[in-house]
Amino acid sequence: MRRSTWLIAAAVVPMLVLSACSSRNAVNKPHNKAGGGKGGYGYKIAVVTHGGQGDSFWSIVRNGVMQAGKDMGVSVTYQSDGDPQQQSRLIDAAVNAKPDGLVVSMANPEALRTSIQNAVKKGIPVITINSGEAQSKAYGALTHIGSDETIAGRAVGTQLKTDGVKNVLCVIQEAGNVGLEQRCKGVKDTLGGTVTNIQVDNNNLQAAQSIIAAKLQSSKAIDGVVTLGAQVAAKAETAISTAGSSAKLVTFDLNATVAKDITAGKILFAVDQQPYLQGYLSVVMLTQYKSNLNVLGGGQPVLTGPNLITKDNAAAVLPLAAGGTR
Amino acid sequence: MTDIEVNEVTEPGTDVPLLEIRDITKTFGSVISLFEISTTVRAGQVTCVLGDNGAGKSTFIKVLSGVHQPDHGQLLVDGKTARFNTPRDALDAGIATVFQDLAMVPLMAIWRNFFLGSEPTKGWGPFKRFDAATAKKITRKEMADMGIDIRDPDQPVGTLSGGERQSVAIARAVHFGARLLILDEPTSALGVKQAGVVLKYIVQARDRGLGVIFITHNPHHAYPVGDRFLLLKRGRSLGDFAKSEISLPELTRLMAGGAELEQLAHELERESGETSDLGRELLQDTETLG
Amino acid sequence: MTAATVTADERVAHVGVLRRVLLKPEFGALIGAVVIFVFFAAQSDVFRSMAGAANWLDVSSTLGLMAVPVALLMIGGHFDLSAGVQTGTAGLATGIMTTYWGLQLYASWAVSLALMLVIGFINGFLVTRTGLPSFIITLGMFLGLQGLNLGLTKQVTNTVQVENLDLVPGYHSLFNILGSTFTLGHAKFQIAIIWWIGFTVVASWLLLKTRFGNWIFATGGEPNASKNVGVPTDRTTISLFMMTSAMAWFVGNTQIVRSGTIQAQVGIGQELYFIVAAVIGGCLLTGGYGSAIGASLGALIFGMTQVGIINVNWNSDWFKLFVGVMLLLAVLANQYVRRFAENVRR
Repeated sequence: MRRSTWLIAAAVVPMLVLSACSSRNAVNKPHNKAGGGKGGYGYKIAVVTHGGQGDSFWSIVRNGVMQAGKDMGVSVTYQSDGDPQQQSRLIDAAVNAKPDGLVVSMANPEALRTSIQNAVKKGIPVITINSGEAQSKAYGALTHIGSDETIAGRAVGTQLKTDGVKNVLCVIQEAGNVGLEQRCKGVKDTLGGTVTNIQVDNNNLQAAQSIIAAKLQSSKAIDGVVTLGAQVAAKAETAISTAGSSAKLVTFDLNATVAKDITAGKILFAVDQQPYLQGYLSVVMLTQYKSNLNVLGGGQPVLTGPNLITKDNAAAVLPLAAGGTR
Repeated sequence: MTDIEVNEVTEPGTDVPLLEIRDITKTFGSVISLFEISTTVRAGQVTCVLGDNGAGKSTFIKVLSGVHQPDHGQLLVDGKTARFNTPRDALDAGIATVFQDLAMVPLMAIWRNFFLGSEPTKGWGPFKRFDAATAKKITRKEMADMGIDIRDPDQPVGTLSGGERQSVAIARAVHFGARLLILDEPTSALGVKQAGVVLKYIVQARDRGLGVIFITHNPHHAYPVGDRFLLLKRGRSLGDFAKSEISLPELTRLMAGGAELEQLAHELERESGETSDLGRELLQDTETLG
Repeated sequence: MTAATVTADERVAHVGVLRRVLLKPEFGALIGAVVIFVFFAAQSDVFRSMAGAANWLDVSSTLGLMAVPVALLMIGGHFDLSAGVQTGTAGLATGIMTTYWGLQLYASWAVSLALMLVIGFINGFLVTRTGLPSFIITLGMFLGLQGLNLGLTKQVTNTVQVENLDLVPGYHSLFNILGSTFTLGHAKFQIAIIWWIGFTVVASWLLLKTRFGNWIFATGGEPNASKNVGVPTDRTTISLFMMTSAMAWFVGNTQIVRSGTIQAQVGIGQELYFIVAAVIGGCLLTGGYGSAIGASLGALIFGMTQVGIINVNWNSDWFKLFVGVMLLLAVLANQYVRRFAENVRR
């Protein structure tokens, strides 16, 4: 094409594109970054978790951590790595920077023990969140904020049993994740029926949907599906209708689509351990400890769940989930 | 810079050479690859370029085929100055080069290779297709004209023998209207019989009226088919001779560096004080060559 | 000078058809697909039912759509490790532009295409200009896009997914093009399957019947030699990378349109499966040889296996082991068949 044609195109095309803008299309609100209060405590808090980068659960934890940092006026760093060796190295690096407090999630407590005890020895207060409740106190942490995966799993199993479900498909979307395995085992403990685990890949949800559908087609006896992540839940819902199954669907963890589906009756309920709170409270509690020597829990863990989102409260939770805080 | 050429006497062929190479010099950084090289090629004749490794033969071809541009000197096509900035320019001027890798893609069929870069098409717009039927037909015919019966033009070129591959390359060049064929060491990797076959193709191309530049390091291959001989040594010309001006033994001696061998022999003689065995051997060699 | 008379070689007629079939690069994949189908169909009535077929065809089509341009690129001598993550970039771009920035759906769809073509151009340009292995260049693009997908999504949405595309005006018509289903024998088949077959046919025609296809084989087989005879190798390479990115656009947008949402890390890890499908389909890793139909057959084998394993109630953990073994077998089989066919010729 001639140069003049290119120039004309370069001028006209963006205008055409921009003219196609309309607020009717912007159904999602952009994230409001306005910070909270100005606590002005000025501490440095390091957060090192085992969460995956693109994991929706951990992105909510991170949001909580960041917001608490703004509200308390403390500077926070958030790092994560699913590999325990890598995570312990991140902890060591964070400790070397001499933070005022450390927040850690322990999916594999033994692998992190040395790094955490090292931090405690250096006088850095440690709070554990989400996983590793059993070893938290022994390693010297102030307290543990979270929700026991096994207890949550058992709660789901009990609820499903009440609903008459006898044969459950438990969908694990991240291979080797200890917490997810604990959830499925918890369901098995209390269901009193059959629980089959199945592996899918959270990074290939399209295939996950087909795999779930295939399982439902082949095992017509399945009358309940439990998903362990919010993103898989939506796919499981489609799979159930594709396979012509009448299985009931429940899920762990929450996002806007899940909340919408609960309101519509497509998902029975979601077990929410309020990840935002785990992140938010950990920063707040360390700030309070540093400034006022407060410790919460009375020697017991601080529980953020299991918290059931059902048809009754889903609608109210929906906009919060869309904003990434629930 | 005149357009009129001085005729070379005693040369058969047309008055104006197809290609005249005049004082071509090419340097890469501080290395002088070619220094003031001159020769001519006429239609219906073979000019052989001889030299051992490191003589500058490959640089020479690359200059002629448009891959490199000379730093000094001129190329004259049909008496007019020409400048080849890309291989396409040389091709358009009618100069086809058959490199040592033959510009063949071994995994592809013969007919695909034959028309590579110049595929015939049928249809128009988004439905323009490669006219495979015509391509296969022409390939078989051109190869037959060279005296080869291709059983199946769908054969991958890699399954042909070395000599057959050379013939495909030459036939391709001839078909696409090459007026001047440059062959880069076509016989070097071949056995005796295959080399003979290739020399036959060179003669056929010459007899069809093409000019041929035949690069080789083997004077025994060059002499039977050559009409003109250019000798290169370390980037410099040892001489540009018509066939009538030089004999095969003299050609070989020049190539092997006969004069240098003699000097080396005398040096050894001096070093070891008496005529050494090695020195005697060298002297003998230069005698047989000279 | 006399032209030698060309006598018809009587050998050609007899061996012709069989040899031609055996020599086709997709032959091995075809055998493999039949074997896998029979294997699972014999053991599971769900697998061979219409609903079952709709399921494994769905998986095959998603993989197959990308495997086709990746195969063409591989025949052209290059790898694109960013092919998987690009599908995410494309879908996220459309989602964010529409639902957060208010751009009309089809306009977003078009801008998303422009973006992906630019990414493809960058890949191709860097590969041809720097001469570095495409493996490295596209690895860099892969890492960069992975970070961009996640970072930008988090920045704009505060979550790791883009949702609610199904609420925007114009969604339904786009859904009909990309995400709708058609019914065959009481089962619903995704329209993507039709797109996949269509693109495979077009790509195969492009490869085998056009000038450009000849250039693809040549650029992959012997790039220097091809350049010397006037094949535009740089243009061919850049075009191939742009075609891969254009398909990533199609697949990524199919994903977000089908369910109305897309998550930030989609496609990561898939790029290797595209290559596996292409290799099963007969593509040489070194370039210059392969087949688009073969890559689609490879994707079909994949889909049938991934779903078949579930249908016969095996443990889904064994899937990756199965893939690894199948890949090795496919490559060996392809080699064996080709050598056999070539010996027959001699």
